[in-house]
Amino acid sequence: MNRKWRSIIAVLLALTLLVAFVPGCAKDEPADEPTTDETVTEEPKTDIKAAMVTDVGGLGDKSFNDLAYAGLQKAEQELGVEIQVLESKEITDYESNIDQLATAGYNPIFAVGFLMTDTVVKLASVYPDTNFGGVDEEFYDGIPGNVVSLLFNEHEGSYLAGVVAGLATKESFDSKLNSDNVIGFVGGMDVPLIKKFEAGFIAGAKSVNPDVKVISLYTGNFTDQAKGKELGYSLIEQKADVIFAAAGACGTGTLVACQEKGALFIGVDADQYITIPGSGDVMLTSMMKRVDAAVFGAIKSMVDGSFKGGTAQYFGLAEDGVGLAPYHDFETKVPQSIKDAVDKARQDIITGTIKVPETP
Amino acid sequence: MSESRETLPAHRAWMTVAQKVGTPIASVILAIGIGSVIMWASGYDPVAAFAALFKGSFGGPKQIGDTLLRSTPLILTGLSVAYGFRAGLFNIGAEGQLFMGGLVVAWLGVALTGLPWVVMVPLLVVAAMLAGAAWAFVPAILKARIGAHEVITTMMFTYIGRYIVSWLVVGPLKAPGQIPQTDALPIGSQLPRIQTLFSEATLEALPFLKLGRAHLGIVVAVIAALVVWFILKYTTLGYENRAVGFNPWASETGGISVQWTTVKALCISGALAGLAGAVEVMGVHHRIFDQFSSGFGFTGIAVALLAKNHPLGVIPAAILFGALSAGAGTMQLEAHVPQKIILIIQALVIFLVAAEEIVTWFIKRRQKEALSHVG
Repeated sequence: MNRKWRSIIAVLLALTLLVAFVPGCAKDEPADEPTTDETVTEEPKTDIKAAMVTDVGGLGDKSFNDLAYAGLQKAEQELGVEIQVLESKEITDYESNIDQLATAGYNPIFAVGFLMTDTVVKLASVYPDTNFGGVDEEFYDGIPGNVVSLLFNEHEGSYLAGVVAGLATKESFDSKLNSDNVIGFVGGMDVPLIKKFEAGFIAGAKSVNPDVKVISLYTGNFTDQAKGKELGYSLIEQKADVIFAAAGACGTGTLVACQEKGALFIGVDADQYITIPGSGDVMLTSMMKRVDAAVFGAIKSMVDGSFKGGTAQYFGLAEDGVGLAPYHDFETKVPQSIKDAVDKARQDIITGTIKVPETP
Repeated sequence: MSESRETLPAHRAWMTVAQKVGTPIASVILAIGIGSVIMWASGYDPVAAFAALFKGSFGGPKQIGDTLLRSTPLILTGLSVAYGFRAGLFNIGAEGQLFMGGLVVAWLGVALTGLPWVVMVPLLVVAAMLAGAAWAFVPAILKARIGAHEVITTMMFTYIGRYIVSWLVVGPLKAPGQIPQTDALPIGSQLPRIQTLFSEATLEALPFLKLGRAHLGIVVAVIAALVVWFILKYTTLGYENRAVGFNPWASETGGISVQWTTVKALCISGALAGLAGAVEVMGVHHRIFDQFSSGFGFTGIAVALLAKNHPLGVIPAAILFGALSAGAGTMQLEAHVPQKIILIIQALVIFLVAAEEIVTWFIKRRQKEALSHVG
């Protein structure tokens, strides 16, 4: 009815579409399937509906939540279960999300992240017929009968990362390595879980290089990439040339710091060479935590009726629950002596010759 | 002629009210419309999505309770920001004051034992408000004495407050266990859920009282809104606040101390944010931890904007944001729309309220057209 008004609406729409495309690009893109591409055979359909609730990191974190979702997707393809994921924006969402999934008949329900421990305990008693999987959740007051606690021996995998870093800092196979014998660790929240990464990393490094100096810094959360970058800068200024980050999405910032200031990076949770494109120039390896395998395994146990509620399952080196990713672009550069040392350490941990500490 | 002259003032008054209420409503409707287009363009069904959103936020007593739960802190932070705005101050640091209020409650609520509930709860509420006010006091003094801009100082104080809490929950105040958080408040320091106040029989007879997670904090928040409205409208304190916000030079000339009013305004604003922290700790989490607030202090700015800084308008504005948050889960579950769409709609509401001039211009244009038709 009047042109001016219409043109304003048009501009507004254009603006908002522009705004919409930014999150649109990051729209919960299904996490890259890190598992092997097995041929999908027609499995008999089950009537199991599996679901997960992310922590506030949400999908697209390139590590923890994406990995759990990959486990669900694998179960959808291979076991024919129906899957659903609810993302949490705030802590208040945990309870309502799990509650809605349980009401809608999803079983099992995976709560991803230790921050949901209390909520799982509370709702496990409200919905006694629903099974829950608590990823990284340690239940100090006993595991409810319908909950399986999925835990990882992060210290074992981090020990191997420490062996790589401790030896690499003495080498000169890449121009970013210096002769100062300093390596760095960036942690997320200062909690026992992350301390396990730190402890393993330090122990591994010292085992092959007793004089190495390991500097550890914490971002205080798992989301602030700027903080991760800042700590990366700080470590590199203090002469660190290999940095291991166990800090969720903060690690992406540390990675950028490594690329800008020249240091090698060790990723966490997923094989971050694959999940973070363009990281190959500094990504030495990643300490993988196979959340996907744990989640898939728990769903499989539901399908074949062997779900063991009330227990904790530990995923360590022996179970392939943690481990190092390939060296990718560094495959030919990394000397055989490092690869041999890693293999030896892995064997020694599995056989029990080496006991890796859980606290630094 | 004489008839139209008599009706004109009433008509005018009605128009201003309609305009005040109309522009935010128009903005919300427009935001929903644009949000629908975005959803449709991304391959989702907007009708199903909004149906699910509504079901998840108002579909039953439990859902309404969830909406109220999420609106409660937003009413209080919205009030906090609005009160500051009315004195011409932009308290961008409500988040930090909220953390301080929550911290004091989480600490005192556990440390003081043995007091009856009726003493304990008011005591904690007052302590949290004092803590919030104290956290706004330094920025207030800096603003009043040397003119340091409150946007910078209150924001910096937010960082300080947040990091103090971060440190305390991993250090001195940490409860046993893996999670960095304080000990749980005893029952005597909690704000109970509304449905627990009624007997099983009453709840059966009146099922709308089964409000799920909604707690008494909503009552506290509504009372606070009424009190702030009363203060602004009927007291000298409120008059001075508005006068300074309207025109500080004229107020100074008229005998109002701008400095003193600034200090009072920011401290009251801080107290309201501190109260928000208190109800979250006492009603929802029963303890404090690093991420106990998902930016309620910042969402409060949007709530105040949408409410046009009217203390009673803050209530529906906060309920809107609470409903968007409460319905997001159902929207993901039933319409398979990612939760991020909700963030887009929230952003659109804020954007459109900020760009309200356009809507106002449109309305004026319509009025002119209408008048010209009459003429």
